[in-house]
Amino acid sequence: MTPKTRRPWWLGLVIVAIGLLWFFQGRSLPQLGGYAALGPGFFVTAVGGLLAVFGVILLVQIARGEKFEPQESEDAQSDAQTSWPSLLWAAAGAAVPLLTMQPLGFPLTAMASFAMVTRAFGSRRVLLDCVIGLFLGIVCWLGFSRLGVNLGQALPFAGW
Amino acid sequence: MTGFGVALHPVNLLWALLGSVLGTAIGVLPGIGPALTIALLLPVTVQIAPTAAFIMFAGVLYGAMYGGSTTSILLNTPGESGSMMTALEGNKMAKAGRGAAALATAAIGSFVAGTLATLGITFFAPLVAELAFVFTAADYFALMVLSLMSVSVVLGASRVRGLISLLLGLALGVVGIDAQTGQARLTFGSPALLDGVELTVVLVSLFAVGEIMYVASRYRSMPPQINPLSGGAWMTKEDWKRSWKPWLRGTAFGFPIGALPTGGTEIPTFLSYTVERKLCKHPDEFGHGAIEGVAGPEAANNAAAAGILVPLLTLGLPTSATAAILLAAFQSYGLQPGPFLFSNSHDLVWAVIASLYIGNIMLLVLNLPLVGLWVRLLLIPRPYLYAGILVFAMVGIWGISTSWMDLLIMFVIGLAGYVMRVYDFPIAPVLIGLILGPMAETQLRRALAIGNGDPMALVADPLSIVFLGLAAIVLLLPLLLRRIKAAAG
Repeated sequence: MTPKTRRPWWLGLVIVAIGLLWFFQGRSLPQLGGYAALGPGFFVTAVGGLLAVFGVILLVQIARGEKFEPQESEDAQSDAQTSWPSLLWAAAGAAVPLLTMQPLGFPLTAMASFAMVTRAFGSRRVLLDCVIGLFLGIVCWLGFSRLGVNLGQALPFAGW
Repeated sequence: MTGFGVALHPVNLLWALLGSVLGTAIGVLPGIGPALTIALLLPVTVQIAPTAAFIMFAGVLYGAMYGGSTTSILLNTPGESGSMMTALEGNKMAKAGRGAAALATAAIGSFVAGTLATLGITFFAPLVAELAFVFTAADYFALMVLSLMSVSVVLGASRVRGLISLLLGLALGVVGIDAQTGQARLTFGSPALLDGVELTVVLVSLFAVGEIMYVASRYRSMPPQINPLSGGAWMTKEDWKRSWKPWLRGTAFGFPIGALPTGGTEIPTFLSYTVERKLCKHPDEFGHGAIEGVAGPEAANNAAAAGILVPLLTLGLPTSATAAILLAAFQSYGLQPGPFLFSNSHDLVWAVIASLYIGNIMLLVLNLPLVGLWVRLLLIPRPYLYAGILVFAMVGIWGISTSWMDLLIMFVIGLAGYVMRVYDFPIAPVLIGLILGPMAETQLRRALAIGNGDPMALVADPLSIVFLGLAAIVLLLPLLLRRIKAAAG
């Protein structure tokens, strides 16, 4: 059974877009001149230009049916169907700090992210996971603060 | 020799022990590698003297490899590419009940290789550091181009994808204030980006967050089959006889290749496996558990990992993700690896090298008896393990400067890490591009400034021509090989 050829056009387009962004940002800076002979813009323009070029090459490869085999990883079946709900839960776990870290502090954010990731892996024990997550968050906050790492206030909106 | 004096200091021995233990535990666990471990430990080490920190990192480096080979042999789950060959024969041996012998030959082979490789560093590194004094800015630039090219092209399936990864790393490296003119670049008006993008944040996001998303979406919840360590004592005399030459050969492959700008552990381990197979007196055993197939590649893996320290310490050239984070660690202490490191921070460098010897011995002593313990770590349910990794990742990223921008980068780059795994883009080039890019750009501009804007200044002296030439060959080699193969029929 031959696997369906995957054609991630969007990926090639994203890379071209990033390349063009860097290219034009670079162009807005001085390219040459100054004490260092090459201005701050040159390298940026070059990187952007090359990215756009390789993005196009990638699009050509996609058109030609180049294989994109997912990478091997422990615990992950590379030929498995992507479970979109799991992915969304995991991504949510990574995104939630953006909303909660500053107002709610590290331990609560850790609790939320922990529970979301365990949910992504199929755990249904939400309450237990939250408890473990909160415990781990508090332990980390205390422990690492003791070791000199600044993790902010434990509960900013309460002023702790 | 004063290095040994420092390294043998009881406090530093404790750091070495801590590093080794952490490293092995981490190497056993899926999803985390030595690079990520060091990145997560960085904020903690801010409080510690650099000597102690690096001694610990050296322990982590070697420990992670021991851990990786343990899981390769017992569970057929190579933690990293360098352990793939070990898994081939080692796991077969374990299934046949000869797990203890496989572990023993891996451990002793790693010890032999590590010691020999460290000897190599001891004698070779100062020589290279001396040579490096002769390098001009143009030479450095050419060498960096060679390094960047090799890392992108040799690793991974596709050159185009490797180069795109590299360019993405370079693009990230450009963000922030330009060191030479004070001009803000790619900051989109955000003050948080003026300091640039931290390597640690990108590394943790790509490795930890990306891995979590990837594994979560493709999770197979089969518990790992742990092969019992029963059957067969340790290594028989026959095993020793069959192992010692592969150990030496493996080291001979691993160290020089690991020390080259190409870096990478796949090539030496693969070479070692192939050579041992050819030279073996019992070729039919290969595929069913031939001890040479464990002894050789393990030694090669360890020697290559030590070899990576040569370009890092002498030239400041990182050739792997682990080397990149070590370089970032040095820089965070205000130390710049390179020829001046040997002359200015003599004590630190030799203490680190001495601790490599000590770490090796420590690991040998620790790991063989404690294998059962390490393997038990794998019984942690995967959901909790990965969720825990995310929490530690957040410590590592938020702990740098409690910056919301870093959290945003974590999310975006984490997603990118997921996409890269799905579409088979190599990850290490992003990190190496990120840290080496700005350095290469500085050397480029310096070389051109010295040459008064003349591009020919880049190829002014023989060394630059050689390095740039090699870079071109590395880039074009697969094409050439294909032509030759096609011509051969």
